[in-house]
Formats: sequence, C-alpha cells, structure tokens
Amino acid sequence: MTPAHFAFSSAFMLGLAGLAFHRTHFISALLCLEGLMLSLFIALSLWTLQFDSMNSASMPMILLAFSACEAGTGLALLVATTRTHSTNRLKNLNLLQC
Amino acid sequence: MSYMMYVLLFGLVLGLVAVASNPSPYFAALGLVVVSGVGCGVLVSSGGCFLSLILFLIYLGGMLVVFAYSAAMAAEPYPEGWGSWPALRLMVGYVLGVGVAWVFLGEGWYEEDWGGFDGLVGVSVLRGDMVGVSVMYSSGGWLLVAGGWVLLLTLFVVLELTRGLARGALRAV
Repeated sequence: MTPAHFAFSSAFMLGLAGLAFHRTHFISALLCLEGLMLSLFIALSLWTLQFDSMNSASMPMILLAFSACEAGTGLALLVATTRTHSTNRLKNLNLLQC
Repeated sequence: MSYMMYVLLFGLVLGLVAVASNPSPYFAALGLVVVSGVGCGVLVSSGGCFLSLILFLIYLGGMLVVFAYSAAMAAEPYPEGWGSWPALRLMVGYVLGVGVAWVFLGEGWYEEDWGGFDGLVGVSVLRGDMVGVSVMYSSGGWLLVAGGWVLLLTLFVVLELTRGLARGALRAV
C-alpha cells in the first residue's frame, strides 16, 4: 500500500470511528462526517493526479457538491434538534428510551 | 520533496485523530481546518493546484465556516480540549490503531512511490486537473444539471426541516 493510499484510508477509518464512537455533542459527529468527506475528496483527487487520468478530475468536484448538500442537511437537523430539545447533547435524545 | 509529502500525510492522519477523539466542537472544527489545509498541501505536492484551490475556497471557506459558527450551539462554559482524559484516551487509542495498521500494511515504502505526471507541464498555462474539470462542463453537462437540481432540492429540504412553528420535522411531543 503506497503511503498516500495508507494515509487517506486510515483518515477515512478514523473519521468513521469518530462518528461511531461519538460522545457528547451532535455537532462533533457531524464534524467527523465532514472529515470522512474530506478524506474521500483527497482520495479521488490523488487518484486523478497520481494515475494521470485527468478525465476523472470531475469526480472530486461532484463529490464536493453533494457533500455540501449533506452538510447542509446535517446542520438543519442540528438546528431542529437544538430548537426542540434545547441542546444538542446526544443524551437528550431520549424520548424513546424505556 | 518527498519528505514534505510524508510530513503532510502524517499531518493529515494526525489531524483526523484530533477530530475523531471528539473534543468540544470548537477544537474539532479547528482540527478539521488543519486537516483540510494539510490536504491542500498534499494535492499541491501531487501537482493538482486547481483541486487544491477548490478545496480551500469551497470546503474550507464555505462549508467549514458554516460549521464554525454552528458550533455556537454547542457552547458550554468549560469546553473540553484534547487534554481531558476521555479525549486523550481516544487519541492514544487511535494513534496506536494507525500504528498497528502501518506495521501490517507499510511494506516497501521507498523513494519511488510518488507518482504523478502532468502531461501539460511546460507546454501550456493550463494544468492537467483544470483541463479534467472542464470535462464536467462539456461532456458532463447533464451531470451538472442533476447536481444543480440536487442542490435546489437540498435547499427545500433544509427549509422544511427548520420550519418549526407547528409542522416541523422534529417535535418533542
């Protein structure tokens, strides 16, 4: 595995672990999701640049556009959660807890 | 030059360790800013200056700014940094995990690993990745239309989610 491939693969795995093992805040989970998207952008760009396949340079751009949509939706969920539950702490999302 | 690439890749992984250890969102956003800056350096070192500029302007200057001021919703009097015991424990665990993966996967890392050849260097003022992105506007025109449609749809999704008043998407009944 080349160093760059190892770097962005482990960056992706770390972001995934940060999203899965979230602790207190909702927005930290959203930030780990953004870290996932960033590692995917770097991965696609490095694919384009290191393999000299310039045709696939549009892939990271489209990924960025859709990741902006996803970030906007996540932040809208954050706003809605803060408005109804008065905080974005994950322990407060306990309406279905028995 | 390849040493700088090593340093930048190391900074990338270490920055995401800092984000994934889930400190207070102020510090996580700062870590993400550092990661995207270092990622831009990685792209520039591989010859992709246009994609690096896109990352800086759109991702850092557009999306992360929104996250930075949305972190005000997580305001607390004593924000937990990277020195607090749970975050430090997670950071050490992640670094150890990456080290273990490195031991198993990091074979044959020599000087000749850095690929990247831009066929237009020295011939034209256009760089390779810039030319590649322009394909999105010519042959990939319908993909641009679909992307624009998705962005418009996301606007309405966000407006519906944050509507509030009596018919919002999330209600504490």
